[in-house]
Amino acid sequence: QGATKWRMQALWGGGTTPMLYEEKFCDRVRELTGGSLDITPFAGGQIVPSAQAFDAVRGGAFEMMKTFDGYTAGKIKAHGFSSTVPFGFPDADQYEAWFYERDGLAMAKESYEPAGLTYIAPTVYGEEPIHSKVEIRKIADMDGLKGRFVGLASAVMADFGVSVSPLPTSEVYSALDKGLIDFADRGDIKANYEEGIHEVAKYLILPGVHQPSTATAYVANTGAYSRLDDQQKAALEVAAREVSGALRQNIISANGEYLKKYQEAGVEIIDLAAEDVAEARGKAVESWKAAAGEDPLAKRMMESQMALMQELRLL
Amino acid sequence: MESSLILVFMFTSLVVFMLSGAGLAFVLGAIAFISTILLWGPSALIVAVLNTFETMTSEALMAIPLYVLMASILQKSAIIEALYDAMETWFSGVNGGLAVGTIAICTILAAMTGVVGAAVAAMGILALPSMLARGYHPPLALGAICAGGTLGILIPPSVVTIVYAITAQISIGKMFAAGIVPGLILAGSYAAYIVIRTWLNPALAPKPEQASAVPLSAKLAKTKSLILPGLVVLGVLGSIYAGIATPTEAAAVGVLGAAASAIVTRKLTLPMLSEAAADTLRVTAMILWITIGARAFISVFVATGGADSLLNFVETLEASRWIVLGVMVLVLIFLGLFLDEIGIILLCVPVFLPIVTVLEFDPLWFGVLFMITAQMAYITPPFGYTLFYLKGVLPEGISIGQVYRGVIPFFLIQVVVLILFALFPSLVTWLPEMLSARMK
Amino acid sequence: MTAIAEGITALNRLLFALAKWLVYAIVLLMLWEVLSRYLVQAPTSWAPELATLIFGPFFLLGGPYLLHIGGHVAVDVLSERATGGFAKILKIIGFILAAAFGAILLWFAVPLAVQSWEYGETSYSAWNPVIWPAKAFLPLASALLLLQALAEIVLTLGDEEAA
Ligand code: NA
Ligand code: NA
Repeated sequence: QGATKWRMQALWGGGTTPMLYEEKFCDRVRELTGGSLDITPFAGGQIVPSAQAFDAVRGGAFEMMKTFDGYTAGKIKAHGFSSTVPFGFPDADQYEAWFYERDGLAMAKESYEPAGLTYIAPTVYGEEPIHSKVEIRKIADMDGLKGRFVGLASAVMADFGVSVSPLPTSEVYSALDKGLIDFADRGDIKANYEEGIHEVAKYLILPGVHQPSTATAYVANTGAYSRLDDQQKAALEVAAREVSGALRQNIISANGEYLKKYQEAGVEIIDLAAEDVAEARGKAVESWKAAAGEDPLAKRMMESQMALMQELRLL
Repeated sequence: MESSLILVFMFTSLVVFMLSGAGLAFVLGAIAFISTILLWGPSALIVAVLNTFETMTSEALMAIPLYVLMASILQKSAIIEALYDAMETWFSGVNGGLAVGTIAICTILAAMTGVVGAAVAAMGILALPSMLARGYHPPLALGAICAGGTLGILIPPSVVTIVYAITAQISIGKMFAAGIVPGLILAGSYAAYIVIRTWLNPALAPKPEQASAVPLSAKLAKTKSLILPGLVVLGVLGSIYAGIATPTEAAAVGVLGAAASAIVTRKLTLPMLSEAAADTLRVTAMILWITIGARAFISVFVATGGADSLLNFVETLEASRWIVLGVMVLVLIFLGLFLDEIGIILLCVPVFLPIVTVLEFDPLWFGVLFMITAQMAYITPPFGYTLFYLKGVLPEGISIGQVYRGVIPFFLIQVVVLILFALFPSLVTWLPEMLSARMK
Repeated sequence: MTAIAEGITALNRLLFALAKWLVYAIVLLMLWEVLSRYLVQAPTSWAPELATLIFGPFFLLGGPYLLHIGGHVAVDVLSERATGGFAKILKIIGFILAAAFGAILLWFAVPLAVQSWEYGETSYSAWNPVIWPAKAFLPLASALLLLQALAEIVLTLGDEEAA
């Protein structure tokens, strides 16, 4: 009997660290299924743009994808809360706990079900930094600056007085270089260093309050998924959970290595005070509520996250 | 299907369909659709639509209508005709002076945009009528515009360079700096070729009557025709480099400048704006519908593993580092015959870069070689995107055959320059290294 | 048949003539954004996004009429030399490819545009507009391209009868 062959559209560029982890994911699934499930990963943008993968998997062009729910938050409001929440969980482990130990995973599955898609598991990792040309020592310093943010963060940062320009990722370097904007988010600490952001922004602000923790997701076409046997389904879940931990720890370790490189390049690393961030989180709740609107699932997700945050004394 | 068979199938069917004389956009789309149904499954046709949604909202591609509109307004307000008139007077002693001037304008435009379609279509509107009106040999004029129009890839800002830098994980700033000197050397080589060629055969570029007798005062008098285009250029470059606008927004500043210039020359009328808009939509729709077809073609090519056998061959190649490098460049040139640059970067760079690193070549330097092969891909007959973009703005009576003939010498110059940079990497690396040394 | 074909052509000509003005809207929106960011230090959340939403309908609506005026670039090295019936066959092959292109885009774009409307899909930006109106222009333009390609076939064959 031949192996089941799947195509997976991933998020990342070929050769990048997170893409290597997607290749590991596919290897691990092959290993756990004795080769009966053979997934070929495609780098982000190679076949369809990452933001369009949702419809490509629904339509059956791919059997599964690695996606970022933020791309579909315009369709499914709940996805704003299953991807990244500005001023949300400060620790990736807390966010992952919400998925696995609370009802996060169940609600994520629920959000995809009507679209004919099956949510398999998240990959959760920590903050993305803020790069600035001007000193930002506290959240209030951002008031009146020109910043680049996208998604829900663009609305939340605007609520904190930032003049937000939602520039494309490819324009961030030049826009900082030429002074079109004062500060920006882009990718993770390592990727931004490799693009040379330290050459154009002399301050690196931590924690990246606009994106303190992030979840990307393995999602399959329900029709294709239902034709898998139990071993294959279990293999997807096991491999996904392994990759989540492994990538997160890789990022933690790389962050340490690369923060040193930023300092060697003359970048000052500024740590925002925990109380300052916590106070801002309280204010951000209003933006969260606006984003959830009247959508029942989005509201449930938000309330479930807020409940855990309150128990952890984050709110 | 075997991946090498897919490669042969898609390449040959492209050539065959293309020769039928059907619109290029539909040829690309039709082959993509047939291959998708045969090799991937009919449901995957959805991919063409999803890619189109993305094309529809591309901030970078929006530079195309803006630069075409700017060019069209400038052209219709007699400002460009005056500029070429002046160039004719200034360069009356230089062989092929207008074509050299065109290369100079292309170089300036390259510093404004990195979207090749925008530059070539704009130059086709700006430069071509003036050169043809003065009896320039059409292939020479067409070749100069095609080659000059691709300079924007190397000279910053450039979308292709940014995508390469992001995929190769190297500094965008260094990659930009690395392109400047090679870009200028290429421009200089094009100009040198034009001067030598027209010196050997003056009939290719007729000089004006009383060529030698133009007094200095007459030359100076014509200098004022430089003011308006100069101000437009200043507005665009100034708004980019002073941090006022993104490159695409700067193109809108250029349109404003062109319209203001048209007011000065009293040519700004509603019918003129209407004609300029019609030109713009014609050219933009032509380029973007090709883009829709091309994206569909690349998707199915990648998804079915069309290039896998080529890439695997390079990966397993055990030969001297220079032979491996040569093979990589040849693969890039071959894929460039029928894929677009962004597609090639996403496909090849992740495979080639580890090899480049193992062979201890500089990824920055390899990036510049890559950008030059990208320029070559844009002008290689029979399938080079600039050739088609330019064809779309050609006056009646000029066939694509003449465009094909025109680009061949410029293609050969690119080959020579490519070899030059391969042999002397410091030509590429000294500027970025000097800049980063100064920053420390 | 010929009357219908000419009607389709007239419709696409009209849409082309209307759509071309959108480029000035794009210019004004971009300039407005530059001014509001640079002069008043307050970039709008909507101007650049509205410009990108107009860009798609702008170039899509140009495509069908471009087919009529021969504006879609082709390699004419061989077809230029063809004469009589063979030239006509080559022309019709080209229009069939264009019709197939339009038909397939239409077939797959309609459900996606409808779903976008059902979801009330927004762009999830600070401005957060619904985006189905922009998406709907793809099936619309595809349908118009299909119709124009069929019209061109009718007009090409009609030439023969007249001759
Ligand atoms: Na450029
Ligand atoms: Na080519």
